[in-house]
Amino acid sequence: MSGVCREVLINEMKRLLDIISSIGFSKGKPGLGLKNDRLDISEREAIQKELSLKTSLDENLRIFKLFSGPSPDIIVRELKFGQAKVRTAIIHVDTLADTALIEGLIGTLSVDPFQTPVGEVHKREIFREYKERLLRSSKAKEAETFTDMWQGLINGNTAIIFDGMAKALICETQAHIGRSIEEPATETVIRGAREGFVENAETNIALIRKRLKTPNLWVKKFIIGHLTQTDVSVLYIKGLAGEELISEVYRRINSIEMDAVIESGNIEDMIEDNPFAIFPLVFRTERIDRVVSMLLEGRVCIITDGTPFVMVVPMNFPMLLQAPDDYYEKVPIGSFLRILRFVAFTASIILPGTYVGIITFHHELIPTELLLRLTAAKEGVPFPVVFEVFMMELVFEFLREAGVRLPKAIGSAVTIVGALVLGEAAMRAGLVSAPVVIIVSFTAIASFTVPTFSFGIAARLIRFIFIILGGVLGLFGIQFGLLVMLVLLSGLRSFGYPFLSPIAPLIISDWKDLYFRVWRWADVTRPKLEGGREPIREKRGQEPRPDKQNEGRNETYGNQKDENPRKDK
Amino acid sequence: MGTRKTKTQEKISNRQLLFIVFIIRATLIIATLPVLTTGHAAQNAWISSIITMIASIVVIIAISALSLKFPKMTIIEYSKVLLGKTGGTIMSLGFLWLFLHIAATDTRIYSEVLADGFLTSTPLVVTAGTIVAVSALAVYLGIEVIGRAADVLMPVIISFFVLSIVASLSLFDLKNLEPVFAGGITPVISGTVTPIGISVQFLSLGLLIPTLTEPEKAVSTSAVAAFLAGLALIVTSVIVVGALGERLSSSAIFPLFKTSRSTVFTRFLERLEAPGIAAWGLGLFIDVSTFLYCGSKGLSEVLGVEDYRPLVIPMAVIWITLSLHTYDDLFELLRLFRPETFFPYVSIVGFIPVLILWGAYIIKASSGKLHGLQKHK
Repeated sequence: MSGVCREVLINEMKRLLDIISSIGFSKGKPGLGLKNDRLDISEREAIQKELSLKTSLDENLRIFKLFSGPSPDIIVRELKFGQAKVRTAIIHVDTLADTALIEGLIGTLSVDPFQTPVGEVHKREIFREYKERLLRSSKAKEAETFTDMWQGLINGNTAIIFDGMAKALICETQAHIGRSIEEPATETVIRGAREGFVENAETNIALIRKRLKTPNLWVKKFIIGHLTQTDVSVLYIKGLAGEELISEVYRRINSIEMDAVIESGNIEDMIEDNPFAIFPLVFRTERIDRVVSMLLEGRVCIITDGTPFVMVVPMNFPMLLQAPDDYYEKVPIGSFLRILRFVAFTASIILPGTYVGIITFHHELIPTELLLRLTAAKEGVPFPVVFEVFMMELVFEFLREAGVRLPKAIGSAVTIVGALVLGEAAMRAGLVSAPVVIIVSFTAIASFTVPTFSFGIAARLIRFIFIILGGVLGLFGIQFGLLVMLVLLSGLRSFGYPFLSPIAPLIISDWKDLYFRVWRWADVTRPKLEGGREPIREKRGQEPRPDKQNEGRNETYGNQKDENPRKDK
Repeated sequence: MGTRKTKTQEKISNRQLLFIVFIIRATLIIATLPVLTTGHAAQNAWISSIITMIASIVVIIAISALSLKFPKMTIIEYSKVLLGKTGGTIMSLGFLWLFLHIAATDTRIYSEVLADGFLTSTPLVVTAGTIVAVSALAVYLGIEVIGRAADVLMPVIISFFVLSIVASLSLFDLKNLEPVFAGGITPVISGTVTPIGISVQFLSLGLLIPTLTEPEKAVSTSAVAAFLAGLALIVTSVIVVGALGERLSSSAIFPLFKTSRSTVFTRFLERLEAPGIAAWGLGLFIDVSTFLYCGSKGLSEVLGVEDYRPLVIPMAVIWITLSLHTYDDLFELLRLFRPETFFPYVSIVGFIPVLILWGAYIIKASSGKLHGLQKHK
């Protein structure tokens, strides 16, 4: 027993001594502390942060070995360049860097050797000469610390270290890995662009730039997560987005301190206004056209590397029910579809609860014949209707979740099993009544019309609350629930902007794009964001009129009119 | 004063105030139609409505114009300025009691309607409790939220109201409105007393006007709201009497609902009072939350508490209790609304204090003592 104890004690003391020595000696022999295997990650990072490049190449390479470990994907090549045969190391990370580009880089360095003799005194000159030369072919910048150099390497760049220089040259050699641009799976449209965002943030920014060519599209990059070092870029149109909004976004992103960012959801968690809100307070999308149109409204978008989901702030409630097609389709159809979606969304929240409420409390509200039918269908079902609806909704949620998780091939099988076996059999066995199955299926269909997935999930959750309210207090309970929802939603803000605008606070001028969408020529003003600028989007009076539209044609028509017998007199 | 330093920056727009005042005024008046049910106006209820409208506009202008003399102060604060600390506090407590009492009565009436027609076996405490709970939640989130909720609910309430009125049109018969002025002016006046008394509700403006974005327009905003609510009252009384006849409608407790209940369009469309009741419920939510806000905000100022929010939940609990225990049943409640009891009551607690405040203001303003105090934040 005591032997074990002593061992633990000795080990611990050794560890402490190691740490002390690693910190103490790091001044004399830099990076030596990293040899210690007992250092925890934060201790390692503290040492790494202080390491700067040394003059001697050998020492640099030795430190680098300690810095990044014996990982085989980090490739270090030692070469000699120039007349003076200056020893040089070329470092890159395999597959992140493009090999062909590195070959080109080496080529640039080796051909046309300098005329100047190289000695100790002139090493600085070599560095400058090489830098200028490399600038001709690719981006190059200097790094003075190992951490900076690593930043470059990990982004697919190549570092070049010369003997005798305490600096490294970082040259752009990124290879493009990742999937190709595809149509987003979650937001499909009938009419509209098929391109969606990908996982690579730089590609995503380029995709936005391709559609928004103004130089006033500004990008600011942050690096979040001290382990993942994820790029988080903030995009906005300078002069259109409110400066207060931009600085608020900066402030919130800057205040994030965490070790890892896996998906944009991690950032969202840190920057949203109210963590308890069921509805999303940050808009996320995979579609480039939506992001572009929102940037044009003076909003700010946040692109996180590693995920195709781009966040847009501030958001409001109607954005969740607008599909991109609405804007591309003819106005009457687009508006009709949108109203349909509002109705379907409302139904998907309150329909089951209302059914439960009416059946339980308000028989007198149902016309007699319908009531008779419903009662006949319910005959023999051993459960109260609230339980029946609740269970069926729950089963449906299981099915939907299973459908999402399973591989696509099996997913459809689950749906068939769910629909046929569960629904049909439960009804035959007299466990649920047919109207309940109809209500649940109708609700499910209605909930699929919501174009934003995150919003649909929120609706699912609320539906269960409404079922219980309907079962406890009838229609009064539904009213109560709606009021609570209204109050909570009215209190929500997204980056300081009311979530329910333009419904509450009422902004009549923005109703042109709420339930109805007006024609593009009538949509002359941008949505009214407080602090948003440049309210006028286009000049007024561009509506197509039959006479105006035919101006050009009338002339040709007029030329023919002598020969044309069809002209009416 | 500590309260002034931490005064919240929450603002409501004038449009939202208009909606709130309209909803407060319209819901109770339309649901119970006191022009018809409290006095003896009978088929001349619509004339009573016109008088009521004019009188309530006068009341609302009197209250809002006084508040405008002190645009940054609530009625609680400026009554202290005008009448001294003791006098101001006594008067403020009277106002606060009125808010509490009126809203508790509103809650009780609505709970009774629900218990009567929809939730027959649910105890009153549950319905009253849920109404007050959601209002307390809104008050807790602030006056901005109430304003926004009014923005959303206004169109809903209006459309439900129009639906009820249109549905009743099928029964409308102009002969029911005759003879005009059958009993002289006295019965007509008797019908106006209670609804004018109810306009003591407008005292809540004294706490709402300081939160306005454009307080200088407060008088016109509130007068427009009172005018619109008056119009709604006139339309309703004409339609109800025209549809039901004076005897049937005077004896009904909720004449408008009785009217829409009697309407049958087809076999499928019956029981059309449901939208009316729903509109009332939505309006009641705005009504109760506004009064709860005014009550707790006012009380916090009387007590010198910095934030009104800690007072919301205790107030809400008192509210529920009060709404249940003040009256034994609906008829006792309706007896309160008799002209001979109701008007003296609200005059003593509400109208006369306002007159006193005006008097004090005129005296102090003419002697120049108020200089510099009015713009004091």
